Amino acid sequence: MTRVLIADDASFMRQMIRDIIEPEGFEVVGEASDGVEVIEKFKELHPDMVMMDIVMPKRSGIDSVKGIIAMDPTARVVMCSALGQESLVMEAIEAGAKDFIVKPFKPEAVVSALKKALEKES
Amino acid sequence: MDLAKYRNLFLEEATEHLAEMSRALLTLEKHPDNGEAIDLVFRMAHSIKGMAGSLGYGSITEISHKLEDRMDAYRAAGRIDVVEGIGILFRGLDGLERMVEVVRETAESPPPDSELANALSPESASAQAPVALEEPQKKGLRRAETPPRHGVSVRRHHRPRCASAPRAWTAS
Repeated sequence: MTRVLIADDASFMRQMIRDIIEPEGFEVVGEASDGVEVIEKFKELHPDMVMMDIVMPKRSGIDSVKGIIAMDPTARVVMCSALGQESLVMEAIEAGAKDFIVKPFKPEAVVSALKKALEKES
Repeated sequence: MDLAKYRNLFLEEATEHLAEMSRALLTLEKHPDNGEAIDLVFRMAHSIKGMAGSLGYGSITEISHKLEDRMDAYRAAGRIDVVEGIGILFRGLDGLERMVEVVRETAESPPPDSELANALSPESASAQAPVALEEPQKKGLRRAETPPRHGVSVRRHHRPRCASAPRAWTAS
């Protein structure tokens, strides 16, 4: 089972992602509510994948991607963004994120992005 | 999707976010170059937009999106326009508070507020952008390439000084 860490400052969004991906066979091993916590949880839990909001307190999603990739260049990070954040998404991809999904989430798009990211070579 | 569960989560988080936004705006009224407060209002608007969009609350999504865009421009500038910008930000906050109350009371999407949406739009800006800070002062702020567009002429909105957002404000 693929182990996923979810990072978003809104518990609403973390719950929504959890409700979408758990029935599809993903295991949510942890949640983080800011960019510092996601780095700590990544070190602690070694998830197979991270789903991370692009806008977070304490440390932005992009800085957090960089931090995670610096620790583990094979890490799979999927960014959660919103319409109008295309430049930030590109920055995140350049920083090492594997893919992105756009809010409001479509369940099939979320699952598809996770599966695609898993298939990509690390 | 269990709409009732998500609606309750939305009401809980949106209320907290609006209270934080209110405190940050009061800070910005006194310290218009407080980067932490600017960033906080931006993130709160972004978060409310994401939640409202997921629940199909189009009017809340629209207002929070416009507020977010406006705050993004202020992030780039490193300060808000305290003469006129703060008034429109408080109007945006008031509008969101009213809309969240409609959700709480009716469990339905609030009606749109096109007047507020237009007031928040950068296209309606008339005043000069605030002077950008020197580079060292902008440390930690992102996306400085976009010039701010704001400064809608609005009547100054006087809010009571309180620690958290009350349930309802009188529309300005």
